[in-house]
Amino acid sequence: MDHDEQLKLQAFLDGELPEGEAREAAEWVARDREAAAMLEELRHTREALAGFETGTQLPESREFFWSKVQREIQRRETPAPEPARAPLFTVLRRFLVPASALALVFAATVMVIRPAGPLGGTAGTEIETALSDSGAFTYRDYSAGTTLVWLTYPADNEDAESDEIGTLE
Amino acid sequence: MTVKDHSSADDQALVRAAQRGDMAAFEELVARHRDKLYARAYSMMHNEEEAIDLSQEAWVKGWQRLRQFQGESSFGTWMTRIVINLCLDQLRKHKRQRTESIEAMDEESGGVERQMPVVMVNPTAGLERGELRQRIDRALGQLSYEHRTVLVLHEFEEMEYKEIAKTMGCSIGTVMSRLFYARRKLAVLLADLKKQDSV
Repeated sequence: MDHDEQLKLQAFLDGELPEGEAREAAEWVARDREAAAMLEELRHTREALAGFETGTQLPESREFFWSKVQREIQRRETPAPEPARAPLFTVLRRFLVPASALALVFAATVMVIRPAGPLGGTAGTEIETALSDSGAFTYRDYSAGTTLVWLTYPADNEDAESDEIGTLE
Repeated sequence: MTVKDHSSADDQALVRAAQRGDMAAFEELVARHRDKLYARAYSMMHNEEEAIDLSQEAWVKGWQRLRQFQGESSFGTWMTRIVINLCLDQLRKHKRQRTESIEAMDEESGGVERQMPVVMVNPTAGLERGELRQRIDRALGQLSYEHRTVLVLHEFEEMEYKEIAKTMGCSIGTVMSRLFYARRKLAVLLADLKKQDSV
């Protein structure tokens, strides 16, 4: 008996064959001893398994098992606590560290590419800042004969906060 | 619904109450069907601890999905399908963990058992229920996960070949082959146990 025939015999036992094929299989079993013996063995195994699960009991008491189920249900229904908020400094640091690094790189780049000149500026230029008024910068370009005063706004010193209008010297 | 009402109510009434959030009704359902679910998990896993854990998980999932239960099948059948799916997931995890051996490949195709002579005598004839159960338990434990699962789904869950193939994600031919192999192997193992017993 080849494997296909074995599977056909099994399908016959399990009622999985169409009506015509089932009739043919029944005739085959009736005239073939080997097929009949195989069918009998498969049937015995099937019968032995019947009722195997009947009588199987969960080896835990009703109360104990239910307490576990209930606890797990309640655990999953309770929303997970929100993660603790990071302090403001930690949040700021996340942004300040890269910004500081960027500023350092920028400053270093300016220092490297800036040619040496009088007062550390470009040749023929000068930048001044009044210590008493750190909000005002003066830029002079001697070669072009230009003076530019740069006032920051809003100013954070008393002079700038006054109502007086500033003038260029 | 009182506790007394719960114990006398039918499954449908308990399910409706549980769907409204009545946990005591659900507890009654657990009490009624817990043995069946455990038995199915044990048949598939052949491990008591895993069977307890998986049947517990099935009840938790059952509660979570209770609103989806429309009553097309009985509540017991619906719950049994949940535990079967959990067992299949677990078996897939086991399969990924263990290495595929030549023996396993041989087993897949039927191996030598397919060619073994037919067991002519009923190896379980005359056995008491307890003894029969014990022997089948031992024999089932010697089958691979795949073969035991096919056997359980066919013999205990009474699934057709097509349904088993869909559940296990394989072809009908594979299901037929595995089922045939599992039955033959079981017959041989039971016959061996009978021989050992008679010596």
